Amino acid sequence: MFDLFKIKIVYSKSHWVMPKIIIGVLIILGIIILIQESMKAKRENRPLFNFKGKRFFVENYDKLKLFGSIALLIIYIYAMKFLGFIFGSIIVISLFNILYSPKKDKKSILICIAISVIETLILWFVFGYLFEITLP
Amino acid sequence: MITFGIVQFFAALIGVIIGIIFGALPGMTATMAVVVFLPLTYAYDLSTSLYLLLGLYVGGISGGLIPAILINIPGTPSSITTGFDGYPMAKRGEGVRALRIGITASLVGGIISLIVLAFFTPVLARFAIKFSAVEKFLVILFAMTVIAALSRGNMTKGIFSGFLGVLISLIGIFPDNQMMRMVPKIFADQLRDGFQLLPVLIGLFAFSQMFEQAENGMKDTFVEEDVLKGKQTRKFSFKDLKGQSINLIRSSLIGTFIGVLPGVGGSAASLMSYSQCKAWSKHPEKLGTGQVEGLVASEAANNGLTGGALVPLLSLGIPGDSTTAALVGAFMLQGVQVGPLFISQNPKLWYTILFALLLCNILMFIVMFYPIKYLANIIKVPMSKLYPAVVLMSVVGAFSARNGNMFDVVTLIVFGVIGYLFGKIGLPSTTFLIGFILGRDLEKYFVDSLKGSGGSLLVFFQRPMGLVIWGLIIIFLIYAFFDNRRARKQNSAAA
Repeated sequence: MFDLFKIKIVYSKSHWVMPKIIIGVLIILGIIILIQESMKAKRENRPLFNFKGKRFFVENYDKLKLFGSIALLIIYIYAMKFLGFIFGSIIVISLFNILYSPKKDKKSILICIAISVIETLILWFVFGYLFEITLP
Repeated sequence: MITFGIVQFFAALIGVIIGIIFGALPGMTATMAVVVFLPLTYAYDLSTSLYLLLGLYVGGISGGLIPAILINIPGTPSSITTGFDGYPMAKRGEGVRALRIGITASLVGGIISLIVLAFFTPVLARFAIKFSAVEKFLVILFAMTVIAALSRGNMTKGIFSGFLGVLISLIGIFPDNQMMRMVPKIFADQLRDGFQLLPVLIGLFAFSQMFEQAENGMKDTFVEEDVLKGKQTRKFSFKDLKGQSINLIRSSLIGTFIGVLPGVGGSAASLMSYSQCKAWSKHPEKLGTGQVEGLVASEAANNGLTGGALVPLLSLGIPGDSTTAALVGAFMLQGVQVGPLFISQNPKLWYTILFALLLCNILMFIVMFYPIKYLANIIKVPMSKLYPAVVLMSVVGAFSARNGNMFDVVTLIVFGVIGYLFGKIGLPSTTFLIGFILGRDLEKYFVDSLKGSGGSLLVFFQRPMGLVIWGLIIIFLIYAFFDNRRARKQNSAAA
């Protein structure tokens, strides 16, 4: 009966002991969550998966800013690869500032670019030059 | 005996000021301040870095009271109850008074928690030194139970999120037999050592927040009215705190205690303290209409958190909240092991931490108390100009953590999106992070225990100390079960 309480540790396979247990626990927890949700749904007399009237994003969410941020971050990786840290950062951080800026007239765009240039140069100076930290 | 000089003083001062700014801006948090500035500490030694990071922590927690009182929006989750009484006071023309009461209560909370930290940590550490792999495993298990127990009304999701963090932390090579697991072949090089803590941290706590703000249109300012413009009807005097000493001490201790419990954030501290204040108050019905006691309870508790959260970190190696989890990053980067041996192996660093925390609390008071009228303008700083700077610092931080690795920047973005999705489906990021930090240790102690016992699971029930920890786990689970049910009932009653 004590075999129930035994887990054999075989050296060559020991790297899978814990992941397997954790995956098992996660599956059990997942089932519990599902049961809880379906019980709750039953109590409130609604189907378990009710997507009607539910929304993933908040109402009138800002598509441009949300997806724009994610896209800009991906562009940033490539920009740093091909243009180097300083130019890549100045361009992408300017775009970030312009994207988030509520006003998009000429003056505020110029301010955005100026801020980005200053920020990038300060960071480059402090990290790359003073601290000698590797930059992209 | 401690590391202190002009550099450290300015590190603390700058930390406090930047922390206050992050704390005061709704949509930016103390944790974010610490994770974004972690990379700045690569260049300094650990003690100097800690002045900066603790300054950010104390400032970040304290700054949250400014918008809570002035515009009734908590600047950080931990100031959630500050506005209950602070905002009505500000509307009556007692804005400056409310702010100064809050700041003073914060200082008291910080100092009391510091005292607890100083005396309690060595005791706990001395106790924990005797732990074998079995107890170490159980303590981590206990920590994860506590996390789950206190995610009110959301217990299963809390546990799930914690274990998911553990699973993600196991990705990569297993040091015992040098075998890789859960790594797709194409990422074999990049994920050899799994995901790095720093980009995961910054992604979960800075980028996900940014995505959330972007989704909401990145509002430039939350300020619609200027409550400090009108004539102030009542001035602050330290007499305002007369009769509040018991409340101050109780609230600070509640905050500290909540801080000691792993994974429980500041919002729980201030909520619990506020409800206790209500329970003990002579006029509970008046709370919420602008009472000094409510304000004191909230602010003393959330600053009490700071010292408390460091207790389990420095004695057991288990972070008390998301911000101290970020501090783990700093210790790891500098190659210092936090755990039971920390104090005895690094006495100088330990005293430096205590001193730095004291200094940061005092600096926080000085920086906030006198110029509060001008400081209140912080909440007008446009978030749209700050977030791009956060992006820049985060990317540099992630990239340079391992001396220039673009994969870590990818990790950063991926975990930013994951954190954002977690928020959408109601999985708590903090529990995930703590699982992620402790996952490798959990595995090591589990496998070591079993190797020692020849594979018998009974080893976890044979040592007296282990049984005590099991007892604690069970107590917390029972508490959690009932508390969870009560919370659900309250929720459905409210709905």
